[in-house]
Amino acid sequence: MSEFSSLTEAVIKGDIQTAVAETQSALDAGSNVQDILDKGLIAAMDEVGEKFSTGQMFVPQMLRSAKTMQECMKLIKALFQEGQLSAKGKVVIGTVRQDLHDIGKNLVAMMMEGAGFSITDLGVDVSPKDFTQKAQEVGADIVAMSALLSTTMPAMRETIEALQEAGIRDKVKVMIGGAPVTENFASEIKADSYAPDAGSAVIAAKKLLGIT
Amino acid sequence: MKKPKNKKKKKRRRSFALPPERKQKRKHVWLKVLPDDLWLKVRRGKTILEALQKTDVELEGDCGGLGQCGKCKVKILSAIGPPSTEAQELLDADELKAGVRLACRTKIKKEFTIYVGEPETEDTYYQILKTGRRPLFYLDPLLEKQLVNLPSDAHNGGLADLERIRLAMGPNYDDLTAPLNCLRSLPNMLAKTQFHGAAVLHGKSLIAWQPREEGGRRYGLVFDLGTSTLVGKLISLLDGNEVAAISRLNSQSKYGSNVISRLQYVKENSEGLQRLNELLIKDLNRITKRLLYVGGLQPEDIFIGVAAGNTTMQHLLLSLDPRGIAQAPFNPVSTDGMIVKAGDVGLEVHPEALLYVMPTRSGYIGGDLISAVLASGAAEQDDLMILGMDLGTNGEIFLGNRKRLLTCSAAAGPALEGAKISQGMIARSGAVEGVSSGNGDFSCRVISNIKPKGICGSGLVDLAAVLLHTGIVDHEGLIQPDLENANDIPGSRVIERSGIYDFLVAGPDESFDGRPIYLTQQDIRELQLAKGAVAAGIRTLMDEMGIGVDGIDRVYLAGALGNYVHPLSAMRIGLIPSVKPDIVQSLGNAASTGASMVLLSKAYWQKANELAHSIEHIELSTHLDFNEYFVESLNFPEENLW
Repeated sequence: MSEFSSLTEAVIKGDIQTAVAETQSALDAGSNVQDILDKGLIAAMDEVGEKFSTGQMFVPQMLRSAKTMQECMKLIKALFQEGQLSAKGKVVIGTVRQDLHDIGKNLVAMMMEGAGFSITDLGVDVSPKDFTQKAQEVGADIVAMSALLSTTMPAMRETIEALQEAGIRDKVKVMIGGAPVTENFASEIKADSYAPDAGSAVIAAKKLLGIT
Repeated sequence: MKKPKNKKKKKRRRSFALPPERKQKRKHVWLKVLPDDLWLKVRRGKTILEALQKTDVELEGDCGGLGQCGKCKVKILSAIGPPSTEAQELLDADELKAGVRLACRTKIKKEFTIYVGEPETEDTYYQILKTGRRPLFYLDPLLEKQLVNLPSDAHNGGLADLERIRLAMGPNYDDLTAPLNCLRSLPNMLAKTQFHGAAVLHGKSLIAWQPREEGGRRYGLVFDLGTSTLVGKLISLLDGNEVAAISRLNSQSKYGSNVISRLQYVKENSEGLQRLNELLIKDLNRITKRLLYVGGLQPEDIFIGVAAGNTTMQHLLLSLDPRGIAQAPFNPVSTDGMIVKAGDVGLEVHPEALLYVMPTRSGYIGGDLISAVLASGAAEQDDLMILGMDLGTNGEIFLGNRKRLLTCSAAAGPALEGAKISQGMIARSGAVEGVSSGNGDFSCRVISNIKPKGICGSGLVDLAAVLLHTGIVDHEGLIQPDLENANDIPGSRVIERSGIYDFLVAGPDESFDGRPIYLTQQDIRELQLAKGAVAAGIRTLMDEMGIGVDGIDRVYLAGALGNYVHPLSAMRIGLIPSVKPDIVQSLGNAASTGASMVLLSKAYWQKANELAHSIEHIELSTHLDFNEYFVESLNFPEENLW
């Protein structure tokens, strides 16, 4: 826990004012921008994800932290050269066909963004075809699917099959989640990973792409 | 032309209602008999033995109710006063302490729950709500019987039997029809009754001809088709009284506890629909059999019934394919109110009996909600703004009055029914249904007054409210570790488990089976999700209606949770808006109440069908503000109300 501990703390608390001020003073003090991002902001969001997983933080608090992080990002984004702010990976995310639930999916998207991934959110009721097309278009590293109804879970299998048919199944990792989804179901449909909540999703995504 | 003998009788209009208030003592009280879950309506002051005599419940006894043999033992589960002198002599101290009394010496003065049977079997009492309050209305039942006197055979000039009945019944019945089965038996029945009989009428259809003595036997059935529990009622069509009410757990539960899992089962099994339908019909026939037994009736005495349930349950009842309801855009096969032959559905009642199945609004706004709206009287209300809700896995909410009624279905998840809570359970024996704290004491109210086994929905709400009130849980829902003694609740009840904190509801020495009962941090999160969904649904409807909290004049809580939950606790956790507590009322089992109103008044059937069209359904999953409201409603209210 480094020179950025008060920044980290402010992000975890969701204290936008303090966090922005801390970011600014770190910049003024000449800290490395990449360090502010990695050791300050992303480290904070990692902890947020962890606390969310254990129940110590909940959705509103997590959203507030994500918002705080975004505000801080505004300050440092401009300082990166074009292409220098490299994303950890490209993620295409959505709720599967005939399922309209999106709160959980949005949380996952937000946490992944906070952890440095580049996110393409397709929204809800996303067909296997749309998942596949978008994944091809952006050259996704991860396709992440959410289903909140046991009756729409089969659409996850169909999406994986569609990725296969398009010939990109070996290029992308598939993550799934949602209330009725289980680890077993994930291995049954040959998804690469299952995450029970937004915090775990980030950890799982990093693991899939070999990021530590 | 001869003047019809039966004078055109003005429909008898009698107003009646269940007394809604408890102020004056009612003449009758309910006696609940376990383990069969039989509900008997008995005259206040009768003994338990007298009440049980007209049922098939058998008690031991040699002395004929004189209080001498000491064999008619029953266990009283409700709170009860000191035993009679006879009981003190004839029963041993342990029995007396356990609530065992003599049936012949125990007068029923208030609602009692008793247990009859081998005392060693574990008595599980499911707290299923059967009663409900209903507004005042005119009696005009779906089924009528009319005494008809046909002029003697010799003078009829070759007229058809049915034509003669039409003539005898007067011009109102010029267009009287009769189903084939009725016609087939008509000559026989006319002869048997010597042409003086009781015409069983469903509107302008003569569905049977009975002996005159049967004219007064007018009963109908009402079914509440809940996803987890089924309730049946036998109702007198003469005075609207409930003769008996019986409930049982829905046998379909083994294929999943909620609607989605039932739909999933139908989707995945080619015979799934048939299987679920058969289970339901079997359950309903069992209920019917018991009801008829209590009423001293035969299946042939029942000509009419009304069923209300959520859209999926009603589809399963009628063997309609419900799979469309499972996924967006959630299409049911039909939303119409249906009048079907009970026999075609498989109910064991009179072969010509009719079953009314309530209209629905959509896949998730079912006949049960339409019934609840009827029971609330919201649709007849011009001035007051009524908020009503039936809280289960889906929180069905309505808001409005005659001018405009809005409804939505909020996916609350199963937490409010005690599921997905680490030590949650449904409301049955051993469930913590409420808590209280104060004066250094923290205590649980447990169903059946035994040591607690788990926490049910109303207990969860109460517990959370108390913990919020005392500050053990903060408004973000976090259990606070470092309070020494929060308002008399010992800090020792907050227990650390790997970095997070849980609340000890009952220690090993306090619980039923020696295992501690915790309310975990995650449980509180589940509750937050459930109450957040309901609160956001209410807020969305209020927005749509253009009113604030002070615009709400009445809040009606329907269903089991609505009946047992403490309104102040529901407000403290933000499940319902903070209104004046005295405008919050329980509607009881509103689905069966609404259905019985339909049974007893044709106007309500019409009203139900109108409502199904006029009520506006707000689909939350596509509503722009809902998600934002949901997230905002996840926190608990900050301020204490008490």
